[in-house]
Amino acid sequence: MVGDFFSAVGDVLSSETTYSSGWRLAVALAFVAVGEWIAERAGTINISVEGSMLAGAFAAAMGYDASGSVAVGLLIGAAAGLLVGAVQAHFSHNLTANQFVVGLTLNILVLGLASFLNSSLKPETATAHVFEVPGLVEIPLLGPALFGQPWPLYLLYPLVPLAWWLVYRTRWGLEVRAVGENPQAADVSSIDVNARRRQAIYFAGITSGLGGGYLLLGQVGWFEDAIVGGQGFIAIAAVIFGGWTLRGAMLGCLLFGSANSFRLSLPAVGHPLNSELLSSLPFVLTICVMALFAHRTREPQSLARPFIRGLR
Amino acid sequence: MTATSAGAGDVRYDRAREGATVLGIYLASIAVALVAAALVLLATGGSWTSVLSALLDGSVRGPGRWGTTIGVAIPLLLVALGTIVNSRGGLVNLGQEGQLFVGAALGTYVATHIGTGGPGVLFLIMLAGVAGGAIWAGIAAVLRYQRRMPEVLTTLLLVFVASQAVGYGLKNKNLLLDPTPDQANRNLISERLRPDTRLPRLDWFGNEFPMTAFIALLLAILVALVLRWTIVGFRLQMLGRGPRTAHRAGVSEARYGGLALVVSGAFCGLAGAFMLAGGDFGNYRLTPNYPVNIGWEGLLVALVGRNHPLVSIPVAFIFAGLRTGSGFLAATGVDRDITKVVQALLVLALLVPPAILFVRDRRRALAAAADRV
Amino acid sequence: MTSPAAELQGITKRFGAVVACDNVDLALQRGEIHGILGENGAGKSTLMKVLIGLVLPDAGAIRINGESRRIGDPAEAAELGIGMVHQHFSLVEPLTVWENVILGEPIRLDAAAAKRRVGEISERYGLAIDPDERISDLSAGLRQRVEIIKCLRRDPAIVILDEPTSVLTPGESEQLFEVLRLVVERENKAVALVSHKLDEVLAATDQITIMRAGAVVDRRDTADADAPGLARAMVGRPVSLRSEGAALGHIEAFEDDRLATGPVVEAARATEPQPVLSIRGATARGRDRRTLLDGLSLDVHPGEIVGVAGVEGNGQAALSDLLSSLLPLESGTVRVRDERPLPGRPGAMAAAGVAVVPADRHESGCVLDMTVAENLTLVSPPRPRTGRALLDRAGRALLDRAGRQAHAERLIEQFGIQTPGADAPMWSLSGGNQQRVVLARELSGDPAVLVAAQPTRGLDVGAIEYVSERLREAAADGVAVLLISTELEEVLDLADRIVVIFRGRIVGEMDRANLDVERLGLLMSGAQEAAAS
Repeated sequence: MVGDFFSAVGDVLSSETTYSSGWRLAVALAFVAVGEWIAERAGTINISVEGSMLAGAFAAAMGYDASGSVAVGLLIGAAAGLLVGAVQAHFSHNLTANQFVVGLTLNILVLGLASFLNSSLKPETATAHVFEVPGLVEIPLLGPALFGQPWPLYLLYPLVPLAWWLVYRTRWGLEVRAVGENPQAADVSSIDVNARRRQAIYFAGITSGLGGGYLLLGQVGWFEDAIVGGQGFIAIAAVIFGGWTLRGAMLGCLLFGSANSFRLSLPAVGHPLNSELLSSLPFVLTICVMALFAHRTREPQSLARPFIRGLR
Repeated sequence: MTATSAGAGDVRYDRAREGATVLGIYLASIAVALVAAALVLLATGGSWTSVLSALLDGSVRGPGRWGTTIGVAIPLLLVALGTIVNSRGGLVNLGQEGQLFVGAALGTYVATHIGTGGPGVLFLIMLAGVAGGAIWAGIAAVLRYQRRMPEVLTTLLLVFVASQAVGYGLKNKNLLLDPTPDQANRNLISERLRPDTRLPRLDWFGNEFPMTAFIALLLAILVALVLRWTIVGFRLQMLGRGPRTAHRAGVSEARYGGLALVVSGAFCGLAGAFMLAGGDFGNYRLTPNYPVNIGWEGLLVALVGRNHPLVSIPVAFIFAGLRTGSGFLAATGVDRDITKVVQALLVLALLVPPAILFVRDRRRALAAAADRV
Repeated sequence: MTSPAAELQGITKRFGAVVACDNVDLALQRGEIHGILGENGAGKSTLMKVLIGLVLPDAGAIRINGESRRIGDPAEAAELGIGMVHQHFSLVEPLTVWENVILGEPIRLDAAAAKRRVGEISERYGLAIDPDERISDLSAGLRQRVEIIKCLRRDPAIVILDEPTSVLTPGESEQLFEVLRLVVERENKAVALVSHKLDEVLAATDQITIMRAGAVVDRRDTADADAPGLARAMVGRPVSLRSEGAALGHIEAFEDDRLATGPVVEAARATEPQPVLSIRGATARGRDRRTLLDGLSLDVHPGEIVGVAGVEGNGQAALSDLLSSLLPLESGTVRVRDERPLPGRPGAMAAAGVAVVPADRHESGCVLDMTVAENLTLVSPPRPRTGRALLDRAGRALLDRAGRQAHAERLIEQFGIQTPGADAPMWSLSGGNQQRVVLARELSGDPAVLVAAQPTRGLDVGAIEYVSERLREAAADGVAVLLISTELEEVLDLADRIVVIFRGRIVGEMDRANLDVERLGLLMSGAQEAAAS
């Protein structure tokens, strides 16, 4: 049994499809994690990214169905993600309702709405075409994974440095970081604390919607209720695992995405392992890895604490 | 002692106006939610009058529907009770769905492996359900207090692990899969519970429901009493509202917070066991996706019930009504998922008034105290 | 004569029934330091918040350079050339100095330019600082330096300082006033110094406006003012009691030899040579591995008040946390009477008989979202009693709500807590009454040790007097009192023995009999050698 497992691991590691699918799955997480990272730096654990992602996926399907264009689909997906983010933002940082409660309710709402609309509207979709970056795709093992993918995947490549630049090199980013650490100080420095927090959530909504759109149009190809299936939550875990650094969060996505691809490629290379156990692998791994490393990191000081001027 | 009768009258007048304001805010929020739901319905070409009528038929008007709705309300109430316990301690448990599933699965395992029947076995099934839910929530508690992982996230992630783990059990004849030959590997379902390990059902005026309805009611009263009249309840509340002060006063975060999470899980597990042995869900068998969102909805019941055990009783019934009513929607041509939309919109809308009132009251008090600190 | 830099006319601000500012006039002239003196709650902070745009007045006008203006938020105030050095809450710890300095400014983020600017300002005013340092690595004095640079960065014409010396050593305060003098004389700025301390207002200002209960009660040229007159104007009656002098920040009172140690204390110490609280070599680190306590040792005997003096951020919070069971130790021991409670274990200190009135009242002193009655019985909630052993044992799990109510009402009466009732939520009480609730609870448990950390912060003179009196009474009853305060005057007023805390350890000790305020100041600033010689 153990021997089987190791030979399976060996086979998987030498297969190009592993890297390819691992990268694809990691990218879906990374879209979400990039936005969630900013939201958490501003002080919100935004569990509605799951809903944003699902809304993004469904809206992308509708957009594609209506226009026949992947680009339009992605755009509409991002807009739907933003919409969910906007509701979360206003409920938690305007009305000061509990952010987890709002997030969870939104997730349930989006799931209900998407499955309701899906069954009555039944959008028809397809996958975006694969675009091979000339030259780079020739790199052995990793080339096809990084540069021979459906084109929406490449949107992530500029998105990550953009997010880094936003947070560390712009005034907005400085204010976002200040707001997540010490909202009172930011407030007396004439920063609109809740506005920054809302904006950070908008950003998370957009990237999560994009992530959902990518999932649908770049990876799966059709809408189903379970298309997101907790990947938003894993992305949140990746941010925490990464110690609230962008690098760490992306590493987390890669790790958890690879775990997910193991599930897909193990049977492909001829090792029949139980699919349920494999399906739970990313979740179990996420928990275990976080249990080992997460407690050593320093979180933004006012993470998940609402700010109301005058109340502490 | 200078307050005059006129002053007292003012107070009463203010109270009345205050009450009207609060009521107004609530009604406005609910109205917004219902309008939004109606718009969704209109967008897909449904008729809201026929939907409403179907919902009423399915939940209370149709023959025997009261019983069905009560059957659904039981697990919803139990999950809500668990949620109330952990919320009291300031913990956020979002993994009810998973805890319920594990409870039901462990109950099934005990039921199908013990070989005999009778009330003793039925009791063991319940115990197994409690243990399953408690263990599943206990994992999150350990991670929280040993590893400082936010329980919000771990409980959520464990939902997915639970559904895969039980799914694995349902593929395996040694675990949960029904081993009868004609059924082999076709359907991923467990053996049915023997008739003598099922919960007795009552029949009141043509409405049939399991007797656990009364246990659930008793538990709701018990939770209300424990939270209000015991030291544990008091300390739990202290932990939830002022963890540092609580620590100083001798309330161990790990012990009380862990306890709250485990108890919360236990209630969910018990809900799972009740569902299994009650007969309203899955016809006494465990199936994949067995919890069918009861965990999530129970959580919403607690939210709408403002974390009060007794208020949660009618809320659970209403939510159950939406669910049983949705079964009658097929005739109207509207997908039954619309009730999920309505539910979530309602919950979202009901989050608004308390938030507004909280900020307003605090602002007032602070303003009054501001410069004479 | 030119119009003043800023002029407030007829400013009135009400909060509900309370009038914080009542028709206040104030003119800040260029080239002058204007002291705004008043006790806590006199309305001076509200007045300044009006000027900086954090509070909108109900009535009145603001003129800047003679022109009528409406100031809606701090950004608008900054546009008009008004800057403020805040007392608390305005630096973000994980960010660097330069990031903090430019935080909130509507400009493009340019690190090099920002650092250059920080360098220029620190050179111009002699406020040396490394712009790349993280705030979390800086001492309280240096942090305030950053605050001042942040305020001066935009070259404001009007500078407001809110109780600026509360985090400084006496030496650092001197330095601050030198900088202010420089700003006023060389650059013709207008400075407003908000303070409740007579001494510093007398020493550092040109004009003084005195406020009481929301109104201006007097204006003086500093040259014509004296301490007793100012004190009388502030409080509204002649000041004689020592603790009031302390509350008003008047140190001279203590160098008077009328202040002999009371006989009660002498007797108690003579009969009880054994300390009731004894901390040995306490060493602790925070989560970020920063040293909080560094081998701190301390004894407190029954019936004495030991004052821990020191500049904020030198381990006072950690010491208070240690005695609140909130901080585990890496090494060292705590002994209370004959017990050795395990530091950091929930409730260990309270069980051993250590009562605490913490500085962070809202975080670890009380629970704002519970009622007054609940807050009065947090540590040992009453259980129902029947008199029968068996029943009582079973009843230990139960809460006696009626008993709690009665107990609470007794304490409310006894400690003069002003509340609509025992059922009122804690958050609806004023700060002074919240503090009374904490005191009542802690003292009602018959403690062996009472720790009071910044017990009078944010309270008005009446409440300060009350708290001081209670601490003295507790000591007279034989409780070992440990007073941790950054207000030197408060320590001088109350303590029989003074120890100085610096960087997490006790660096010096002084009896009331051999009081030497200058040496105390040196010890607080860490100049151990200088003090020893």
